[in-house]
Amino acid sequence: MTHDGALALRADRLGKRYGQTWGLRDCTFAVPAGSIVGLVGPNGAGKTTLLALTVGLLAPSEGQIAVFGEPSRAHTAATLARVSYLAQDHPLYRGFSVADMFHLGRSMNQRWDQALAEQRMDTLGISLQRKVKTLSGGQQAQVALTMALAKRAPLLVLDEPVASLDPIARLDLMRDVMGAAVGSGLTVVIASHVISELERLCDYLIVLAGGRLQLAGPVDDLLAAHHLLTVPRPVPDTGLPGTVISRTDSDRHSTALVAAGLGQLAEAERPGWRTDPVSFDQLVLAYLQRPPVTDHSRLAQSAVTS
Amino acid sequence: MTWVTWRQHRTQAIVCLALVCVTAAYAIVAGTWMRATFSDDGLPACLARSGGAGCTAAITSFVDEFSRGGINSIINLPLIAIPGLLGLVVGAPLLGQELERGTWALAWSQTVPRTRWLTAKLGLVTGGLVLFGAVVTALMTWYHAPLDRVTSRSEPLPFNGEGLMFTASLLCAFGVAVLAGLLLRNVIGAMVVAYVAWDILTGLVLLMGGPIHVLSPATMRIPCANGCPGVTTGSAVPATGHLGDFVYGITRSGHELVVSYLPANQFWTLQFIQGGLYLAVGLASLGIAVWVLNRRTT
Repeated sequence: MTHDGALALRADRLGKRYGQTWGLRDCTFAVPAGSIVGLVGPNGAGKTTLLALTVGLLAPSEGQIAVFGEPSRAHTAATLARVSYLAQDHPLYRGFSVADMFHLGRSMNQRWDQALAEQRMDTLGISLQRKVKTLSGGQQAQVALTMALAKRAPLLVLDEPVASLDPIARLDLMRDVMGAAVGSGLTVVIASHVISELERLCDYLIVLAGGRLQLAGPVDDLLAAHHLLTVPRPVPDTGLPGTVISRTDSDRHSTALVAAGLGQLAEAERPGWRTDPVSFDQLVLAYLQRPPVTDHSRLAQSAVTS
Repeated sequence: MTWVTWRQHRTQAIVCLALVCVTAAYAIVAGTWMRATFSDDGLPACLARSGGAGCTAAITSFVDEFSRGGINSIINLPLIAIPGLLGLVVGAPLLGQELERGTWALAWSQTVPRTRWLTAKLGLVTGGLVLFGAVVTALMTWYHAPLDRVTSRSEPLPFNGEGLMFTASLLCAFGVAVLAGLLLRNVIGAMVVAYVAWDILTGLVLLMGGPIHVLSPATMRIPCANGCPGVTTGSAVPATGHLGDFVYGITRSGHELVVSYLPANQFWTLQFIQGGLYLAVGLASLGIAVWVLNRRTT
């Protein structure tokens, strides 16, 4: 394993309970610095909870999450300074001008890159004198993103950054996020329920469902550790190599997405079986559709490491 | 945080400044007029000479013109209502609007922890409200000074416009509205709830303003064999014969009248009790708001 210092994020049995129900439970993963992390899950999967725990807006009920080796402690200046957060619906003060928003950023952060903020507005053609409420949705998102970037934190966390935007504004915003990440070595976490949007961008994947971690790991490793196996019927799950994540049966064939490396597959191979690589979409969907199981994270991780 | 607080509350600050200007204009115009009439009626000389006993007619005419049914009745209601309404308007959005519009996620994810964010804002805004209250109180006290020489300061207007009451009522409504905004996460709802709470408390305070229930009343017995028609609760020179006493009850007991009254020197005692009640509720609400925000983990 890598040393903690090289990890941007490390969650250790992280959990958050709201009253009697768990919004997130038993979440363990480690994200190397410089990653672009896609956080995927249906609505209510616990994405926003995980992000709020990371940013320091929520305190964990159990376990912990560390950002660059330091545990996130809710509502402390040290934790808040390490993370830039773009909240869902990119909230801004509607009555403020863009310049006022930046003034607020300057007043509330020790590190604040005013030059970067102004230069981005210049590039985007947004006047600093404009009131926030007169800006389009895409422009508001850009101002909010600029606030997050100008905070100059090493970790940038975006919660559904483009959910409310039209397709053009989506492309623009994500291009700017990636530009900023590449330019300054940021680690970025992007939560979204739009899978296709993340496929092009992220190199680390976290899948949540029902408040449970379904899958976490570097995208390349995950893709290498999963395969689509087409076999003649009837073969029970137990007859297939690795762990069956999802399975569709037609009249003559079964297609199973299995967590198994090439070695395992070669060992188990029978005549008439066909092995194909999985796509990012197939992988994510398979884990999203799988009913949450307690020890999933362990299964997925053992698949990655084997 | 100073700039942020100023930027978020500057419209309210301007409204307060406008209110101060209106109050000042009223106080200067009406106060000057009142002072002129006070001299024209020969009251300063008469009061110096007889302590009030010899100038019943002049006092009655002066009081009728300015206090009872006079211009004071115009500003009586605003002096009670403005601190409440202003407190609601400033207090309810302070947390309520952040929670309603989702801007809390922006505010609390900057480098200032949310408890420090809240205490800084509350400190500055409360300071501004205290300053506003002090200026209005000073203006009203100056305006009312001639009347204070011949009437009781425990009557509604001087009582609600002088001393602690105006500022305390303002801070009470503000504190309750801040807390309601935090708990309800909604500006309008917070205003309604805080208004009801402030109104109930103000009703209580005004009931106590007939101070009967708060302080053991002072009584005075006046010999009276044959009806004593001139002795009433509403007379300009109180039945006790001492200007500034507030007479609220006269009952007959044999050949005597029993006069229940609040002595003039009880003004500050009452101010501290009633103003203190307002202040306690207001500051406790602010304290609870800070505590709840600090403690809440969701």
